[in-house]
Parts: sequence; C-alpha cells; structure tokens
Amino acid sequence: MRRAFAFVGALARTGAIVAIAATSTAAYAAADPSKVLRHVFPAAETGFDPAGVQDLYSATIEQMLFETLLTYDYLARPAKLVPLTAEALPEVTDNGKTYTVRVRKGIYFIDDPVFKGRKRELTAADYAYALKRLIDPKLRSPWAWLVEDKIVGLDAVAEAAKKTGKFDYDAKVEGLETPDRYTLRIRLKDTDYNLPYILAHEPTSAVAREVIDTYRDESGRAMANPVGTGPYRLKQWLRSSKIVLDANPDYRGFTWDFKSDDPEDQPLIAQMKGKQMPLVGRIEVSIIEEDQARLLAFQNGELDLMDLGGPLAPNVLDGGKLKPEFVKKGVQLSRIVDPSTIYVYWNMQDPIVGGFEKEKIALRRAMAMAYNVDDEINVVRNGQAVALEYPIPPGVVGHDPHYRSPVRYDPVLANKLLDYFGYKKGADGWRNLPDGKPFTIRYASRPDSLGRQLDELWKKALDSIGVRMDVQKDKFPELLKLERQCKLMMRTASWIADYPDADNFMQLLYGKNIGQNNNGCAKIPEYDKLYEQSIRMPDSPERNRIYHDMARIIEVYAPWRLDTATYRNMLIQPRVQGYKKHPILHAEWAYVDVAKPQGQVPSGPGGKAVPD
Amino acid sequence: MAAYIVRRLWQMLPTMLGVILLVFFLFNWVGGDPAYVLAGKISNQEQIDNIRRQLGVDQPYWVQLWIFIKQVVTADFGASWSTNERVSNILMTRLGPSLTVVVPLVIIATIISIGLALAVAYVRGSLTDRAVMIVCTIGLSVSILVYIIVFQYVFAYKLGWFPVQGWGDSFWENLFVYSSLPILIGLVVSIAPELRLYRTFVLDEINQDYVRTARAKGVSENRIMWIHVLRNASIPIITNLMAGIPGLLLGSFLIERFFSIPGIGREVILAVERSDFPVIKAITVYVAFATIATNLLADLTYKAVDPRVQLK
Repeated sequence: MRRAFAFVGALARTGAIVAIAATSTAAYAAADPSKVLRHVFPAAETGFDPAGVQDLYSATIEQMLFETLLTYDYLARPAKLVPLTAEALPEVTDNGKTYTVRVRKGIYFIDDPVFKGRKRELTAADYAYALKRLIDPKLRSPWAWLVEDKIVGLDAVAEAAKKTGKFDYDAKVEGLETPDRYTLRIRLKDTDYNLPYILAHEPTSAVAREVIDTYRDESGRAMANPVGTGPYRLKQWLRSSKIVLDANPDYRGFTWDFKSDDPEDQPLIAQMKGKQMPLVGRIEVSIIEEDQARLLAFQNGELDLMDLGGPLAPNVLDGGKLKPEFVKKGVQLSRIVDPSTIYVYWNMQDPIVGGFEKEKIALRRAMAMAYNVDDEINVVRNGQAVALEYPIPPGVVGHDPHYRSPVRYDPVLANKLLDYFGYKKGADGWRNLPDGKPFTIRYASRPDSLGRQLDELWKKALDSIGVRMDVQKDKFPELLKLERQCKLMMRTASWIADYPDADNFMQLLYGKNIGQNNNGCAKIPEYDKLYEQSIRMPDSPERNRIYHDMARIIEVYAPWRLDTATYRNMLIQPRVQGYKKHPILHAEWAYVDVAKPQGQVPSGPGGKAVPD
Repeated sequence: MAAYIVRRLWQMLPTMLGVILLVFFLFNWVGGDPAYVLAGKISNQEQIDNIRRQLGVDQPYWVQLWIFIKQVVTADFGASWSTNERVSNILMTRLGPSLTVVVPLVIIATIISIGLALAVAYVRGSLTDRAVMIVCTIGLSVSILVYIIVFQYVFAYKLGWFPVQGWGDSFWENLFVYSSLPILIGLVVSIAPELRLYRTFVLDEINQDYVRTARAKGVSENRIMWIHVLRNASIPIITNLMAGIPGLLLGSFLIERFFSIPGIGREVILAVERSDFPVIKAITVYVAFATIATNLLADLTYKAVDPRVQLK
C-alpha cells in the first residue's frame, strides 16, 4: 500500500512538473529575447526590497520583479482593481473589517540558489510575511503606515520587537491568518474599505522569507537580491546607471484581453488583443539625470519610452500635442493628469496666519485670491499642469469633474477683504495686523530652480495686496522636520496617490495626522468629524456628498490654496505597440509589444541601425 | 629619502584631522536630518526617532565624531543610508568608470599641452603664437557646460559620431565608445589653460643662459627644447599636474551626469542630494588623502627629474 501511495505521489509530482514545464515553455515562447524595450529614469534607483524602498524608480522595477495580490486593469479609468496572484478580489465581510483572499496555485518564485534546486511555490504565508515586514522596527520601512494600527494583533508584535530588538515573525497575529496554504485572512481593527488598494501597492508584494533571511543586510533589507514571481527578473544592475531585466522563463503569462469604451483605446486594443504576454524579452533601463541628454537619446533612437517632464515640454509639445517634427517621425504621446495635487498650506497653529478668527481666515483667503495659478501653470510648469478645483484630483475615485471652487484669482477683492478686516497699510506701504503691529509672511521653499520660481510668483502675489513676504530657504529634510513640528508658516507642498481613492487625499487635513502628513497642522473639528464618517464607507454617492462638504470646509477656513495637478507625458517610439500610461501602475512593460529589432538603434556610436 | 617620506606621512595626520572636523561640522550644520526623508511620506515621531537611533544621529556630537574618526582609521564607512550598499563597494565600483575617463584625459591633455607649449614658445611673438593664445583665451572663457551641451548635440545627436550617453560592461567599449566624447570635451576644456600656463614655464627657461650656451655649442634645437628646456620647466608642470588629479575625479561630475557615466563625481552629487553622509564622508576623506598623497608624489618626482632638488 505504501508503495502504491509512493507511486501516486511520484505521478502527481511528475504531473506537476509537466504542468510547470508546459506553463514555463509557453511563457518562454511568448517573451522574445530579441525584443528589447529601452526606458529611462531621470533619477537613480535605491534598491529592490519592496518593504525597504520608497522612491518611484525602484518601485517601478519592483513591479516587474515582484507581484502583489491585486493590481489594476490596464485600460480602465479611473483605475480599477483586478486580481494578480489572487484567485479573485477579496471577500469582504464583517462590515469591511475582514478580508479573505485566495492565492492562485501554481505560481512560482524565480529560481535562486536559496531554493536549492527546488521550485518554490508562492503561498499565502509569503504575503503575511511581507505585511509583517512593513512594521518590523529594525527594518524601518517607510511603508509602516500601510499596516500600522490597522491589523488586529500586529502592533503588539511590533511593540514587543522594540523591547527585545527582534521581530518575532512566527508569533501568532490574530489579524493575519493563513488557514490553509493558499488563503490569507486579514482582520482589521476598524472598518477600512481601502485595504484592497493596499494589497495592490508594491510594498505588500510577496517575498520569500528564506530569501530575505539569506540576503538581508544589517537593517534586515535585501536590497540587491530581488527574488519574486513577476514577469521579469533582474539580469544586470549597474547601480545608478543601468538596469537590465529579462523575461522570467517560469512566468505563467496572460492573454492581452483588456477592454475600454474610450474610442482612443480602440486602435491599441486592435493591435494587442489576443496576444500572449509578456512579449518583450529584455528591458533596459538607463538612468540619465540631465534633461538634454535624455531627450537627445530619445530622439537618437537610443530609448523607446521616456517620461517627458515639465522642463522639456516646450521642446516637444505644442500645447498638449506633439510638435509636427515628432509626429512626422511617428512618435506617440500618452498623456494623463497625474493622480496628484499641489497645494499651498498655511500653518493653522501659527500666530499670524493660523487660527479660526475671522480676520485670520480673511488673511488666508486674501492670500489665496492674490495668487494667480494660471501664471504658475504657464510660467513655472510650462503649461504642463491643470488648475485644481477639488482636493481629489482627476483619475482618483471620488473626483468630481463638475465641482467648482469659489476661490478665484481676484487681487481687487483680496485687497478689499483685508481692508474690511482691519489690515491697514502703514506709512511704509505694507499692511499691518488689525492691532496695528507689522507682520511678515514667511514662505518656505527649497533652494532649487522650482523653489525660486514659486518664491517670485508668491512675492508678486503678496506684493499686490500689500503683504510683506520673506522667503525661508532650507534643504528638503530640514523643511520636512520644521513642517512636522508645525514651525513653517506657509509652503507649497504636493501629494501623489499611493492608491487611487479619495481617502488618500482627504486624510491630508485630518487633525490626527498633525506631525505626520497634515503639513498645515490643521485641526478643524467639522472636517475631522466628516472624515471619520467617510473612512467607514465604501465608494458611494453618500461618501461623495461627504467629500463635497469637506471641500467646502476647506474653502471656508482656507487652510489650503488648491493649486495644480501636473500632466505626465510619455513619449513612445513608433516601434512600441500597446502602450498607454496608467495613472497608478509605474511600469506598463508587461502589457506592450515592440517591433523586431529592425531599425533599432543600439546604445553604440552613431546610432547606426542594426540590420536584421 | 625614507625619513623624508615618513616625516611627510606623519604631517598628514593634522591635515586629515582638520578635514574630518570640517566635513563633520559642515554636514551637521547644513546637511539636514536625513531621518525625515528616510521615514517616508507618512511617519510618526516614534518612527523618526527609531531611524535616528539606527543611524546614530541621535548620539551626542562628540560620540558621532569619534565614530567618524574610527571609520577613517579602519577605512570602514559602513553602508549608505539611502541604498544600504557598503560604502567601500560604492567607491570600488564607481572609481573604475571615473578613471576610464580621467586617466586617458590627463595623459593626452598633458602630452598635447606640453608639445604645443614648447612649439608656441619656440615661435614666441609670431602670428602662430598670438593666434594660439587668442584661441586659448576664447576657449578659457567658455563654460564647460556649454561645451558639453554643444558637443553632445552636434557630435552625438546631429552627426552621430558618438552615442549620446551610456555605459557598458566591456572596458574597451567604455573607453573607445562611451568615453570618447567626454574625453574630447575634457581635452578642449583643459588644454587651453594648461597650454597658456606651460608656455609661460617654457618661456621662463628659454631665455636662460644655459639655453644660449647650448646653442653656442651647436646642440640641435630639438634637443635643446625637449631635453634641456623641458627638464627645467617640468617641476612647475608636475606641480600643476599632480595638484589637478584628485580634483579631476570629483570635478568631472558634470561630464558624468550628462553622459550617464557611473563615476565618483556623479555619486557625490547623488549622495549630497540624498543627504547620504557615510558616502559623503568617505569620498571627502579619500579625496583629501589623495591630494596629500599626490603632493608627496610630486615632491618625489622633482627629485627624480632634477637631481639638484634636495628633499628635506
């Protein structure tokens, strides 16, 4: 009998191996090693540990190496969650407090010596481990906030680790259960309908514990040995210079079958529909910091994809469209408004600009009305931004394109407002406080060209209403420090979506986030009450109504002056097919195809074409 | 000789200590607290304190300074604060690309500058001499940034003689393909000032009595210029050359950034942008050490080229 079982077991294993081999062969056949996609980053990466890095460029690479449980539909707008390694979207029970996700069977990590020649299957425990790592104090992950004070029992293990100096990954966490090999159950302390977005965020990507244990450095991070289940693997890494990925031969692959009602997407769908993905066998990413070098390299055919960036826009774009010389060459443009917001905040605890007294509100409103956002868009942003009316930017769930803010550029009205509330002009021509004392607004900014341009626009704005302004220059870390301590009077800040839900933006003014990301140190009881209601609600018309009310509160008390959201312009060579910039996904490389290397310019002298 | 070298090495200690103090206080004064950046977009004070504790920046200044001194003595600067890469590895991997550009540049620039300096000094006052000096003055007046932008646009993009940017795996490919244009720009930038300077050194010698005597004895002009004059002019040339080498490693950061060369200069800029103190500390200390070492080497070379020089 035992021998019979052994035979069955061997057969099953053989079957499994055959199945893996079939998947592997299919995927390997799909990704063509001769198809090379060349991309560029304008800044250097830092490493490839999902829990350890926070820069956009490392995260972009990570999205190709590792996999989250969920991801976003490539074409759906606003961004829509779909399963990635999960069988389906999570089952939500207990009023949004319990989430159950099932991991697909038969997904494997790339081969690595740590696995000693065996195939290592992805399991629910790998995701539980990844979530625990985020809160390990030794790791000092910048993503701790994704799980902190959210998952039942997890904070207690982190607290214990602070005392013992060692995070016990084997400790039972009530809110992180794996009832079987493929099921992950997450129990939250409180209702949170945004957890699925967090499960699509790259810091929660699956990592194998034995890999981290083998390759980790003193801080517990494995920055240089990424071992994931993603469509690509790290082939070569010349730090801060070049990153080469090649297709993961064991990747399961998928069929390109995305749908969209947008007429602009139809040619792309016709090109790509039914193709077995990924098709690109090799991805080369160069790091080129200088704008001119980046653009010339693209024009020279050394790059296939490039994020244009604001300073280069006048060289390539005429308004929102490509200049004729680029159109003639067949260059494509994929343009979106980033799910981001740029805003100016006033410190609500500052004795001059802060507070809820009518004259303080009037001062903030007058400054808001004196500032011409259109000037900023045209002069500073080279036309590559849109004025924001609503604190939830376009492309984010909860955005209302019909909402209109009453805050408008109107220096005449701003002057009248200040006159009415007693900010009289003194003999020196500058306004004084209602009690007659002189005052100066200190606008904080970074010592770079963008900072200097904004300084000038704000100086011009405040001069127009007779308010004296000084510029407070400091390095970024120091500005952050002062901001967290509520010691800055006024600054232009920005926020880009971690996940495409309104909550990610509306929490910026929540009173309990003072000292974290509520950089204006605003504590507005009406706002906080509405915010606390909103976080217990899924996306719905009721929740949107609450957001409307919160936006009106911002306009009434004026802790912010909503500014702009910037465009992201991706330039694409004609040989690339199927590319469309996604608002949340950083890397779309697994969804595109490239023509065979005919005419492809190698990174060699002269940009001579390589013959077939 | 040995005693001289030992004495000079001993004299390095106070200089290095000065460098350590300067770097330490400058960084702590203007560097900013890296914990606030490393903590991420959303973090609380407890997390920031945890990072400061792990980086050691919560320690009293004297403790941090003592740690810095120990790092210099052991040549172990730990790991980068932003990438966790060992600093020693950063230096080892970035030095090669920088040297690939700098070494040929220094050699070619020196040979050309000396050769031209001897030639124009020989025909001093002639139309050729004046024309070369005018060209040098114009060349000196143009910023390296202009050379980079124009040369990259014209020679790489428009004419396609070189790649716009890049760096590969092969030393020869990097030297002959990717470094060619940066070296060409480096030559254009460095030859003009060096030529003017070296011409002056040569002119100082060319009017000396020993040159007149050699001519009177019938020594050939080639021998007079290349042997007699050059040997005597070589001491200030060596001084200038040696003093410039350590600075070239860092000073080529603009070229490295525009041509995506993963060298030391580019790494310094990156480290400053990221407030990555371990990397800044290591590079500053090593450059200071290299400066002192090349000065010593220059002194020893004086003795080799001119036996009359006494090392005291």
